[in-house]
Amino acid sequence: MPDFLRKFIGLLLIFAAVGVASCQALVASCSSPANALPTVSAPLR
Amino acid sequence: MGRFLLLAGAVLASSVALILFLKWKIQTMAERYRLPSGQLPSAKGVLMFLLPLPVLAAAAVSLARGQLGPLIGDAAGYGLFLSGALLLRRGLLSEGEYDRRRIAKVPWPFKTLGGGLIGLATAVTAWLGAGHHPAIAAAFGLAALLGCYLNYGFDPRVAKRVTDGYGVDTTDQVLEALAQAERSIVAIEQAGRDIRNAELNDRLRRIAKLARDILKLLEEDPRDLRRARKFLNVYLDGAQKVTEGYAKTHARVAAPDLDDNFRRVLVTIEEVFQEQQQKLLETDITDLDVQIEVLATQLKREGVI
Repeated sequence: MPDFLRKFIGLLLIFAAVGVASCQALVASCSSPANALPTVSAPLR
Repeated sequence: MGRFLLLAGAVLASSVALILFLKWKIQTMAERYRLPSGQLPSAKGVLMFLLPLPVLAAAAVSLARGQLGPLIGDAAGYGLFLSGALLLRRGLLSEGEYDRRRIAKVPWPFKTLGGGLIGLATAVTAWLGAGHHPAIAAAFGLAALLGCYLNYGFDPRVAKRVTDGYGVDTTDQVLEALAQAERSIVAIEQAGRDIRNAELNDRLRRIAKLARDILKLLEEDPRDLRRARKFLNVYLDGAQKVTEGYAKTHARVAAPDLDDNFRRVLVTIEEVFQEQQQKLLETDITDLDVQIEVLATQLKREGVI
């Protein structure tokens, strides 16, 4: 395999694995419901 | 209130740790910039420091939102990423040094270890941070490991050895002598930084450059090491001691006689180093002359010329 092709595939794999996992972790932490934030319940009628 | 204080304390502690780390890093870089080689710090392996930054942000968000599970996952993942990136960078720098040198030992397998840690970090982040199934997370880790291998390659596994005229392996002796000489040059440069005199500093810089050129010649042809033994053991060592002694005294008292004496010593050292370099170059020329003579005789004998 030519050297540049090997490096290119390696770079693609790194972006696909490390980059995607990192971004998904960020999205997951932003989208999941917060535990610490105080919640205001609606007044009972 | 208690939780808020805990959160504020954690943020404060991590900010202080980050500031201390950055301060240390900047100081180290400043030291490196002062090196006479004038080389900028290499950018090798920087990608692996940048790509996992969203994991750090995810850890911060998890901390702010009080999610313990994702916080542990992201923090562990980022810690592993950072350790892996540091090891990988160290491995890449060792490989560069190995490629540059003509004689070298097998470097530690930092690249392989770094790649392994990055693979593990990816799996941990995908599992605990992003919430994937462990099997999928393992696939993420394997992909990262394979990517590291393909992009950065494995560590060198063969030592660059050298033998003397009798076929005895002298790699360790040569490397030890060169390392010792390099330490002396670095000590001369460090002592030179304490001397506040532009002319003397220039002389010391020239001496250090000459010494490095001589070491390069010795590395290219380690047979010269025997001839240069006096240079390494007497002159270089002497230059180091004199420079360090002058730097210490110069800082405490101002003595013009001492300055003149030191200047004279530096002139002598510079001349000796130039002579040594010339001798080594002449030896190479003599060796080449002999080789050409032998080849010409052989060709004549065989009737080619």
